[in-house]
Amino acid sequence: MNRKNFLSSLLTIGAAGPVLAASGPTVSATVRHQSEPLVIPPYLRPGDTIGITCPAGNITAKEILPATELIESWGFRIKVGDTVGKKDTIFGGTDAERAADLQQMLNDPELSAILCARGGYGAVHIIDQLDFSVFFKHPKWIIGFSDITVILCHIHTNGNIAAVHSKMCNSFPDDWSKAEPVQAASILSIRQALSGEKMHYQALPHSRNRNGRAEGPLVGGNLKTMETLAGTRSDIDTAGKILFVEDTGEYLYSIDRMFWHLQRTGKLDRLAGLVVGGFKVKPDDPGDEFVHSVYDIVTDRVKAYNYPVCFDFPVGHQKDNFALKYGISHLLDVQPGEVSLTDVSVEAVLTPAS
Amino acid sequence: MPILPPFLRPGDTIGIVCPAGYMPLERAQTCIDTLQAWGYRVRAGKTLGSGSENYFSGTDDQRLADLQQMLDDPGIGAILCGRGGYGLSRIIDRIDLNRFAAAPKWIIGFSDITVLHTHILTRCGIATLHAPMAGAFNDGGAAGPGVDSLRRALAGESLGYEAPAHPFNRLGSAGGRLVGGNLALLAHLVGTVSEPDTRGAILFLEDVGEYLYNIDRMLYQLRRSGKLEQLAGLLIGGFTEMKDTLRPFGATVEEIIRDVIGDAAYPVAFGFPVSHGPDNVALKIGAPYRLAVTAGEATLTES
Repeated sequence: MNRKNFLSSLLTIGAAGPVLAASGPTVSATVRHQSEPLVIPPYLRPGDTIGITCPAGNITAKEILPATELIESWGFRIKVGDTVGKKDTIFGGTDAERAADLQQMLNDPELSAILCARGGYGAVHIIDQLDFSVFFKHPKWIIGFSDITVILCHIHTNGNIAAVHSKMCNSFPDDWSKAEPVQAASILSIRQALSGEKMHYQALPHSRNRNGRAEGPLVGGNLKTMETLAGTRSDIDTAGKILFVEDTGEYLYSIDRMFWHLQRTGKLDRLAGLVVGGFKVKPDDPGDEFVHSVYDIVTDRVKAYNYPVCFDFPVGHQKDNFALKYGISHLLDVQPGEVSLTDVSVEAVLTPAS
Repeated sequence: MPILPPFLRPGDTIGIVCPAGYMPLERAQTCIDTLQAWGYRVRAGKTLGSGSENYFSGTDDQRLADLQQMLDDPGIGAILCGRGGYGLSRIIDRIDLNRFAAAPKWIIGFSDITVLHTHILTRCGIATLHAPMAGAFNDGGAAGPGVDSLRRALAGESLGYEAPAHPFNRLGSAGGRLVGGNLALLAHLVGTVSEPDTRGAILFLEDVGEYLYNIDRMLYQLRRSGKLEQLAGLLIGGFTEMKDTLRPFGATVEEIIRDVIGDAAYPVAFGFPVSHGPDNVALKIGAPYRLAVTAGEATLTES
């Protein structure tokens, strides 16, 4: 994908943030209320502990060191789960081992957040084995993306628990001093999100964007993973929400088919807004070249609706993949000169809960 | 119980359309010649050997119009899809099935055509034919068992099939209507108005060119959406040209399927001749069948 036109900046605006919310966003879609009220886990303070576990793919103890060292430098403690360093084919341990590790962390009152070490594949093997009852009573931040979309969607639908969609341990650079600015900013945004800062993102305008302004809870994730949740109890309802999607390694025809699936499962018609992140497209096989670009595909699928749409948002399998507060209300403002996404949840207070 | 369209008689006309990917006319010539040799007339739709220069056999509107015309035309006794590829999901909700439901005809195909088969069974309760398409007649395929089973199915013969014993088979026998097709497309239909109702059904699955982890993920979707719960039986066809990730998945397709179905009580047969490979027999989706899996073999017969 050609990203040369792409620029984005992360701007932490702190207390100035609510000014945007107070200016009266219009909600264009009909909001169907979530059965459960939104629950925002307590934000983290220095000294709080983050657990690291592998619900999907495997990772070595050495590979998480760049993440643990940096996170400790932020003032948080780290508790490394049993599945870090475990390997069962592509998985970070057997299904039973991965479920037990995550379950222990969900229930552990000492942990304020759970960082998934990496994605890969495997969360769907254990999701139905997990008991979220303690977690729903005493929620904590779950952090990850890609295959972890399974868990983010599941806790959104079943408990309306906010989470952090962001880079994971395997994306922390070995040498922080050599990290590209957007990579460093993306990783630092995890700290900002966990610390309760108001998040505010800007992206350059794109000629295919559809202008508008809308507010709603931010949901979504990896497109293919979301498709395979359809019909299951982890599937999300997108009505009245801002949907963000990203994917990697898929053919264009498959991306087209997945957007048709979103539409045919009723996930596009009542959106507040659509945020299209990065799509690393798998090149077509010779002779099977697909007709449409990702921009064409999306534009065609949303042409019947009026909500704002923005492209090339900095979320996805790429260096610029900023932490997004999943489930929390955001204001999406797509204008000819500027695109912004702002955390406007009134619950998102700067004072961490005790 | 689903409605079986009338079987064909000599002189009936078979229409050939390409509702998904592009196919040059010459690739369908052996198929056309063979259907004529069977005693049928053939009418090529505009989407077969169309002027399209891209992936699809025509625009969505053109593919829809060609298929719609064949569905509605009382002079067409059956519709054979030239090939699959990708494209039915883009037009399925715009197909008007009213005339077709009043005067059903056999729709023939597999792979992407799974979308059409499943949609028609779910929405109209009409049986369709999961069978070889035009390309399968080439390179000697016209004389093979798959194409021959299509000939016999169209003529109204009651067909039965056998598969050799497989160590992962689950023994038993069961009756039910036949549902299934391409795994990726069945998973893709879950949550839509076209999704299959698998309760009490004999489900058959095949796929091509997918990563092993993705096969596993799609089977988990079927299981988690309840599609594997109340089956009468399960038939596993060919999973051809499977791909693996740099880190090997560590299980074969057969092992993946065995593990996903767990301790299901229904009979299961592996190695059934339905696939993107040479083994691909005609199956009447929606029709009642009986599956018997014994220590020696598995048999599927129309009941």
